[in-house]
Amino acid sequence: MTGQSIYGSYREEMEQCIDEMERHISALREELKKQRGMDPVEHFLSRIKSEESILEKCDRKGLPRTTESVLFQIHDAIGIRIILSFISDVYLIRDDLAGMPEYEIVEEKDYIRNAKPNGYRSYHMILKTRQGFFMEVQLRTISMDTWAALEHHLKYKRKIGKNEQLIVSELKRCADELASTDISMQTIRDMIFEE
Amino acid sequence: MKLLLAEDTKDLNRAVTMMLEHEGYEVEPVYDGAEAMEHIEKSSYDGIILDIMMPKKDGMEVLRELRSRHILTPVLMLTAKTEIDDRVAGLDAGADDYLSKPFSMKELMARVRSMIRRSAGFGEQTLRYEDIFLDAEKFALTAGNSVRLSIKEFELMQMLIANTDRELSTEYLLEHVWNGETEAQEDTVWLYISYLRGKLKSVGTSVQITGAKGGAFQLVSGSEKSGGDQ
Repeated sequence: MTGQSIYGSYREEMEQCIDEMERHISALREELKKQRGMDPVEHFLSRIKSEESILEKCDRKGLPRTTESVLFQIHDAIGIRIILSFISDVYLIRDDLAGMPEYEIVEEKDYIRNAKPNGYRSYHMILKTRQGFFMEVQLRTISMDTWAALEHHLKYKRKIGKNEQLIVSELKRCADELASTDISMQTIRDMIFEE
Repeated sequence: MKLLLAEDTKDLNRAVTMMLEHEGYEVEPVYDGAEAMEHIEKSSYDGIILDIMMPKKDGMEVLRELRSRHILTPVLMLTAKTEIDDRVAGLDAGADDYLSKPFSMKELMARVRSMIRRSAGFGEQTLRYEDIFLDAEKFALTAGNSVRLSIKEFELMQMLIANTDRELSTEYLLEHVWNGETEAQEDTVWLYISYLRGKLKSVGTSVQITGAKGGAFQLVSGSEKSGGDQ
């Protein structure tokens, strides 16, 4: 490849999409803080997928390495991850985004109600912006994020050996324990808010 | 140490009670099986001594009933003479030990001590109700997804699964799941019921717990009654 970005001249517009989303979430946070005295958002993270990994994804999917592919065939060139305090906050943000005329929901996957077999939990949405870009939004709680981050670290350390099965099932156990704690914290929260 | 003694022969009952009390146990004497079952439902014991031949409900019935209710209190059966079939049936039904009549007080005392020494532990088995599994080895609640339960959540779930045919009152749960711990209150039961409701929902089952704060609770399948809760 030459020095030319695979995103061509679209990069700036993609960044604008992220900014718009960030501004919207910030405004929502302010509003919720006023309403409930509590900010549901722990972190707002965003990234444009690196040249290297998006080209790798083109190859994996058998797509030509073109700007057209990375913008319109692949759906996670723009990635947003919002880390929330409680499970109910995940659905609060989900509903808010779903209600916005600026975004069209292309796909939704609820890996919280239907956890992946390895224990991964998160709420995934593919949104199409006004400008026609695709954006992958991942919504998850602190616990879900903790698990995903730590599991990601371990994945690279793991050698395929005799312990593979044990490690996989133990990681799943940790995911199920964290999920259980998330529900307990939610229950305690609900109880406090009821009173 | 609190013991329940169910023996219909009045003199024998009195003598054993005195002997046990002399050894320092707190004893509640009862004279038939129905009375024994009533006491077992109401409070928790460290051990139960059950005569097999009793009016109203015999010892075997009491034993089977309490085991089916997942009450794991150790049980010592008193059998007539050397009825091997009685002893076998008693042990198979979940008795921890037996003693044939006539027995020496010394041996009875030794067997009671031995029975109490052995702690009951958890029933190592998978319980199942509708589409949910409760795995005793992993402390996991599973349907579509799975979550891990804390010990108290697990014990409460076990109790609910073992009693799907009836409602369990807050008092009953405090007595049998929290074993009368003084820190445990009505609010504790309600919080744990609420935890389990959230966890049942998260594993993707339609099984629900009915009941309101301070009241009685029951595990029901989603298609059954859904009124009253949530």
